[in-house]
Amino acid sequence: MSEQEMTFTRSAACPSVVVVGLASCFGCQVQITNAEKYLLEILGQIDLKYWQLASSDPHPEHFDVAVIEGAVTTEESVKTIKELREKAAAVITVGACACTGGIPGMASKDFFGRQQAVYGDNTPTACGTMIEPRPVADYIKVDYEVPCCPIDPYYFVTVLQRALYGSNKSAHTATLCGECKQNERGCFYMSGTMCMGMITRKGCGAKCTNLGRPCMGCSGLAPDANVPAARMACERFGIDPAEFDKGLEVFNQSAHLAPVEQ
Amino acid sequence: MTTANIHVDHVARVEGHGNIHVVIDQGEVKTCEMNVVEPARLFETMVIGRTFSDIPYISSRICGICSSSHCVTDLLCIEDAFGVKVSDRTNALRELLVYGSYLQNHATHLFVFAAPDFLGRTSVFPLAEIDRDLFDKALGLKALGNELCNAVGGRSVHPITAVPGGFTHEISGDEYLQFAEKLEATREFAIVTLDLFRDFEAANVQMKGDLLAMVNDKGYPVCTSRKARFVKASITFDCSEVSEHIEEYPVSHSSALLARVHETQEPFMTGALARVNASWDGLSKSAKIAAAKASLRPPEMNAMMNNVAQAVEIVDVLERCSLLCRRLAANDFEGDSTPVEIVPRAGRGVGFTEAPRGVLFHDVTFDEQGRVEKASIMTPTALNVASMEETMRTLAEQLIEQGAEEPEIKMEIEKLVRAYDPCLSCSVH
Repeated sequence: MSEQEMTFTRSAACPSVVVVGLASCFGCQVQITNAEKYLLEILGQIDLKYWQLASSDPHPEHFDVAVIEGAVTTEESVKTIKELREKAAAVITVGACACTGGIPGMASKDFFGRQQAVYGDNTPTACGTMIEPRPVADYIKVDYEVPCCPIDPYYFVTVLQRALYGSNKSAHTATLCGECKQNERGCFYMSGTMCMGMITRKGCGAKCTNLGRPCMGCSGLAPDANVPAARMACERFGIDPAEFDKGLEVFNQSAHLAPVEQ
Repeated sequence: MTTANIHVDHVARVEGHGNIHVVIDQGEVKTCEMNVVEPARLFETMVIGRTFSDIPYISSRICGICSSSHCVTDLLCIEDAFGVKVSDRTNALRELLVYGSYLQNHATHLFVFAAPDFLGRTSVFPLAEIDRDLFDKALGLKALGNELCNAVGGRSVHPITAVPGGFTHEISGDEYLQFAEKLEATREFAIVTLDLFRDFEAANVQMKGDLLAMVNDKGYPVCTSRKARFVKASITFDCSEVSEHIEEYPVSHSSALLARVHETQEPFMTGALARVNASWDGLSKSAKIAAAKASLRPPEMNAMMNNVAQAVEIVDVLERCSLLCRRLAANDFEGDSTPVEIVPRAGRGVGFTEAPRGVLFHDVTFDEQGRVEKASIMTPTALNVASMEETMRTLAEQLIEQGAEEPEIKMEIEKLVRAYDPCLSCSVH
């Protein structure tokens, strides 16, 4: 047995994990490596079968958990995630791109016109068969989501543990706004600055607003969000609701696409 | 005579998706391609019609490793377009942010991506069992870069606090001093890193094309100059004229556009090795001594020496950052970092920085409300692909001459590709 195998082949009970990247900036995978302090502890609990960013080991046939980063933007990616779903007991999507379509989703409106604008009539074959950017859950069942752009590495560790060992915890449904108000940082609307916290899912720890920057909505719309009421609130604070709608496009544009025909 | 059909599907331990395709027939290299197969996200179309303040936030998402560089480049671009002058303190913080990303990027590239090649491993993780001390210190170096970006930008991937005109938040003077001490304490390990990479046995593969780097009258600039130079052709130009000197062209095997020098039609390399060649005299004292010890002096055209050049830059960055932190703690820079007011106007701006992997240009045209009309982004990895392919060919020919067979050629070409430190998600944006 090689040293490599000795390091990673744990007992049969040790769950095996693969990490796969689709259309993204790779930042969420980088964030996983940024859990430096805990990296070896995480690796000690799992059998990391495939992580292209960190290892040249080949893609395995069998594994328990698939971690998917990135939006689905090609037919080839659709095929990949369907295969992952068939093989994995649990699928975790990490980051805004995979969870909501994220930044790549901004291009989902008139997608093919944009493709033409960048590549003209000669899209390189290397681009694959391009399709409108969508979140992973538009095509396959997703068991756990790690939202935000980028993910918080420790939130990922928590979710990975839930996937490995089970948990009764549910995802957050409330908005960031309620959480932020408790942080004694004031409110951007009081100075006429737009903030997406009113409709964005909480759970990020209010990182941006705590550092003096309005929320851009990277964890996606909260299930409890009341978008029409948020538009009215904007008007009350002298902000054009059209600007608010434009703000929504940054992380929620893919939601406007018609459902995928299965 | 060597005959080989090398197809590496999804090169591992690089940032992004790319394939290598090399066909050798009876000792003759027929095909030598780097296929960038990164999905296109079409950033340049996404930002059209959006207001200027959203742009650095969005463009930072081009790349998770180079996010600080994309963000700072866009800030410079916006301020160039609107004629905004920021304080010296803001400029110092931006330098610190870019340098923090150098530490993070170079440590990740050298240890997580490149080192396994030279140690005969498939990943860095076995290093934890072979030499735990080295493993911990390597991750520690990477963590220090992250901590620095966290402290200055609020987060190591996709900065929060860096906005047009300044910063929305700053750490305390004491925290700057703590960083200075940590950075100084890390110098010893940076020298160990340099010695390690100097001693690795690597191929000598000479690049035939040019080198491109940011330059200044003195110093080793990364985000404080607007001048770029093709080192071999001795062409120096202002970043606003970038499209007149760099020619981008599409090829079907890559979703990234390739590039060549307009005047000479040669491919070129950008990155740590190009910077060391262009600004050797401007390296800090400790880095210059370290570079001399590693026999890295201009002209150095061996592409594999990019690894050593990155290790030299780690030494350089540690010295520069500790000085910046001490000066920030002592309020030694004019002005504060509170964002200055921005009044948009119609016009074009060009932002230019040295990202960890090389020169980065953002060229954006705004309307009178400050909304984007047109955007063009040139990333270091896209600029490097043509040079990478040419150097891959040189290496393959060298190895064929030495009678090497397919597995060795494949391995050496992969090592070469990783030495360029490609960031493929940047290259297709």
